[in-house]
Amino acid sequence: MTASELQHTVPEVRSAKNRRFDKLARRSRYSGILVYIALGILALVYIYPFLISIANSFKLDPDAAANPISLIPQTFSTEALQRLFEADFPTWFKNSAIVTVVVTSGRVFFNSLAGYALSRLRFPGRGLVFALLIAVMSVPSVVLLIPKFLVINELGMYDTYAGMTIPLLADAAGIFIMKNFFESIPASVEEAARIDGAGVFRRFWSVVLPMARPALVTIFILSFQGSWNEMSHMIISTQSPELFTLTKGVAQLASGALSAGTQYPIKLAAATIMTIPVAVLFFIFQKKIMNSSDGAVKE
Amino acid sequence: MMKRLKKPKEGGAHGHEAVAGWLFISPMVIILGLFLVIPVLMAAWVSVSDWTGRGSPFASTVNFVGTDNYAKLLTEPGLAQSDFGMSIKNNSYYVLLVIPIQTALSLFLAVMVNRRVLKGRGFFRTAFYFPSVTSSVAITVIFLFLFSTTGAVNKALHAIGVNGPQWFSDPKGILHMALGNMGIDTPPAALAGHGFLGNSWWQWLSGPSPAMCVFIIMAVFTTSGTFMLLFISALQNLQGEVEEAGIMDGASGWQRFWHITLPMLKPTTFTVLTLGLIGTWQVFDQIYVGTKGNPSKTTLTPAYLSYSSSFQNNQWGRGAAIAFILFAIIVAMTILQRIVLRDRKTLPKRKRFYRDGPPSAVVPATPTSPLVPTASGAQMDDSTPGEGDQR
Amino acid sequence: MFHKKMMLTVAMTAVGALALAACGGGSDDSNGASSESASTINVLIGSSGDAETKAVTDAVAAWSTESGVKAKVSVASDIAQQLSQGFASGNPADVFYLTNDTIATYASNGSLDPFVEGLSNKDDFYPTIMDSFTYDGQVYAAPKDFSTLALIINSDKWAAAGLTDADIPTSWDELSTVAAKLTTGDTVGLSISPEFARVGAFFAQNGGWLVDDKGAVTADSPENVEALTYVQSLLTSGSMKYASEVGAGWGGEAFGTGAAAMTIEGNWITGALTNTYPDVKYTVAELPAGPAGKGTMQFNGGWGIAADSQNKDNATKLVEYLTQPTQQLTFATDFGVMPAVVSTADQWKTDNPALAPFIEGADYAKSIPNIVGIKDVIDELNSQIQSLSTGDPKTILESTQTNLESISK
Repeated sequence: MTASELQHTVPEVRSAKNRRFDKLARRSRYSGILVYIALGILALVYIYPFLISIANSFKLDPDAAANPISLIPQTFSTEALQRLFEADFPTWFKNSAIVTVVVTSGRVFFNSLAGYALSRLRFPGRGLVFALLIAVMSVPSVVLLIPKFLVINELGMYDTYAGMTIPLLADAAGIFIMKNFFESIPASVEEAARIDGAGVFRRFWSVVLPMARPALVTIFILSFQGSWNEMSHMIISTQSPELFTLTKGVAQLASGALSAGTQYPIKLAAATIMTIPVAVLFFIFQKKIMNSSDGAVKE
Repeated sequence: MMKRLKKPKEGGAHGHEAVAGWLFISPMVIILGLFLVIPVLMAAWVSVSDWTGRGSPFASTVNFVGTDNYAKLLTEPGLAQSDFGMSIKNNSYYVLLVIPIQTALSLFLAVMVNRRVLKGRGFFRTAFYFPSVTSSVAITVIFLFLFSTTGAVNKALHAIGVNGPQWFSDPKGILHMALGNMGIDTPPAALAGHGFLGNSWWQWLSGPSPAMCVFIIMAVFTTSGTFMLLFISALQNLQGEVEEAGIMDGASGWQRFWHITLPMLKPTTFTVLTLGLIGTWQVFDQIYVGTKGNPSKTTLTPAYLSYSSSFQNNQWGRGAAIAFILFAIIVAMTILQRIVLRDRKTLPKRKRFYRDGPPSAVVPATPTSPLVPTASGAQMDDSTPGEGDQR
Repeated sequence: MFHKKMMLTVAMTAVGALALAACGGGSDDSNGASSESASTINVLIGSSGDAETKAVTDAVAAWSTESGVKAKVSVASDIAQQLSQGFASGNPADVFYLTNDTIATYASNGSLDPFVEGLSNKDDFYPTIMDSFTYDGQVYAAPKDFSTLALIINSDKWAAAGLTDADIPTSWDELSTVAAKLTTGDTVGLSISPEFARVGAFFAQNGGWLVDDKGAVTADSPENVEALTYVQSLLTSGSMKYASEVGAGWGGEAFGTGAAAMTIEGNWITGALTNTYPDVKYTVAELPAGPAGKGTMQFNGGWGIAADSQNKDNATKLVEYLTQPTQQLTFATDFGVMPAVVSTADQWKTDNPALAPFIEGADYAKSIPNIVGIKDVIDELNSQIQSLSTGDPKTILESTQTNLESISK
């Protein structure tokens, strides 16, 4: 709509204001129902794939091939799950858990240390570090695949847990979140502790950090999800089957290992199980994630 | 961004803080340096070397070859160039389709679920956001199943009388298909005879293959939730303002949205576009898990090509060069987008609306424009939730 | 000062934790070569399934017991990637699978050890296989087995279409005829994987190939164009479809699920059919002859040893053990490959009478030439083959010609 058109429509709207209000009210009732229907269909589209993948995990191969849409298996079978657990699946799960725990706790701790230093402490080179942070944030992670392998390799960390986890601790965005949050906490809260003679770390640890819980939760969620779902780094940092994570293992499964052909129940079962931990995390922190997207964003 | 740097009060504390500051920051500086800065420098060297993937790239047997690797990709006709051109083509369609759709859809969802009258808002938000938290590997496996030749999607299409395509095996681009339906099978000579990056213009105009379309749908499916949350939070921040302005104007819901809300959402839209641009050029996981570039290389992306050149074909220099070109593309696109959007901002729609619009009596004391040119700080904050999901 | 100390302690802990993580990973849990003593031989294989993994693991274990040298078998999910990463890390597996189409790439950057000359049993192998493992005059892998392509026919569908043994196609025309007859309802007559590694057999049957005997590139020869045009005619007639078009991952799956009545696959299909589709009855026939006579493709597997291996002597002994005739026959029984040792051919035929057409193929089979960068060219050709039904055979092969010429200078 152009501006000149508006010139005509807007006064008209005003002159017929009362009539229009009634009409609007009526219309909104109908449109309300329409909105529910539209959103309902959309929600179904978003959820149905997950329901399908759960349902098909319990089907037999021919059933899954013939009735992919059906949510009820013809014969309920746990064969796919059994095959998964006979294979390396438990190992993959364990490795994913190790990576997630190490990376998440590491990020929460180191990000807050660094964020605190950048927001509260004056030290020479601070500006430089800050500039470095912004610079590295702009490098897309996919671009780093090859070079990360080269460095991990040179450091002798290839094919070790160290190589899988330590590089993932690098999280410039997380430092930013912490830095911004610390800046929003008034400096005066540290005053009392300072007068009591508390050192920098004590002030950080027992005064400021407890106040930063919302930001810490944000880092926790992002890191958990990010490291649990990380695939490309696992591809380039390991080779032993003993070090496979779920992402790498399931990716391998998808491209045909364990079965000669498209045995979907087993793949879907694997996909479903690997979704469970993030789903649990999601539902635990649902309020936090949903209500305050500004929680994650604004802090 | 607020700066609350306090001045050290005691002289001793200054040096003290300096030590503490470095101690606090050193773990992250070491990690960032080791795994972000040094890798980039190393890759830069590899991209101008003839390292073939044996032993150290710094060994004396590895030679400097100048821009050879880049030239093979950009200027010398050959397989390397046509593969690279193909990957750029594929990814361009991905970017061109994913960004507008995901932005529009996430905005639509946000506006819908942000309505106060809506019951079950929590449910809808959860439903739309859930795909964003799940792993790209799991989603790809699910989509491979849904879109297999005799899969759920084709069964559903069949039920309504449509013959679904062979999603993962038909290498034809959808534009070529459409042209084929209109009887245009052979390319005009002007398009077939000339080209760019080893692909004729006719090939460039193929459109995405059905397989690429599946990945496009998947990207929208997995990212719209994240971006919806960004829009919701922005909407919540300006809710009062919009209502106030809207009621005063007596504008209808649509008018209010188009002329007041939308301009106010510009900073968030900008963020969403930027994140979209960065994310959509890095398609890797889906390709690795799903198609490995097939059918007929129509799902080959620069990120995957970079990986496969290095790790499977031992062309490490070429792989690193692709990564750097990809980096340059992303940076260039982001800058370009900034320039384009900044120019528009000189004449915000909202102002126009008021200037030419209703008589002065209705115009309320104009609230301070929310269109403060994007503080880059705010951008940074916004960027975090999305980044991980796009890949 | 208390707080200063505490601050230092924590910072030290932080850095220490990092260091610990670095070391811990390296020494405790990793199974990478780095952590194990150099005396252990690491064997990396790409396995077709549990049967192959078990057979190789057992054989290697038996050698370990005999020789007293520790050895460990790992299964790679993507052996090309893992070999590349291994070579780049300077710490590759000692002994590993190699195929004839990758040897040139790895040999050219010095990753492979040319140990085969020193093998005591080097004269036992098929010379053609040795040739396909040769790069720059040196042999880089010890032949372990080989496979050829043959025509696999679903016996029930064959009978249902009123066909008898006498109808087994021996020429292109006959192949077209039976494929058309077998195409009914949900079943397509012939289904193959959309790749050169199947389609190439038709090139050979027409007297063509990617290179001639002297190594000159002949990808766009009239013979090849004619062969590809024939394949295209099968596709457009509807009596042949690619496996992906019938919702299958490869020809064997299309065949096993009954979506196709015939497929062209190698001897590895027998294992897959037995394990996954035990109810399907099938016959193996030699591929039909083309205008220029019989032709098929051959894929050679071998054992390679890394140039960076710390333990080449023992690695060589292990390979010698694994490639001896009796061991090759055991592998053949366990997972359906054909031994690469000439002396065992008759024995194998007696053991597997139904599979004889596979080993007959060895007499006239062609292998993918080993040129550095051939994989890229074949990948590109594969992508063209995937869209063959709408492509132009001549244009496709001309681009292959250009690509091949650029790497075979």
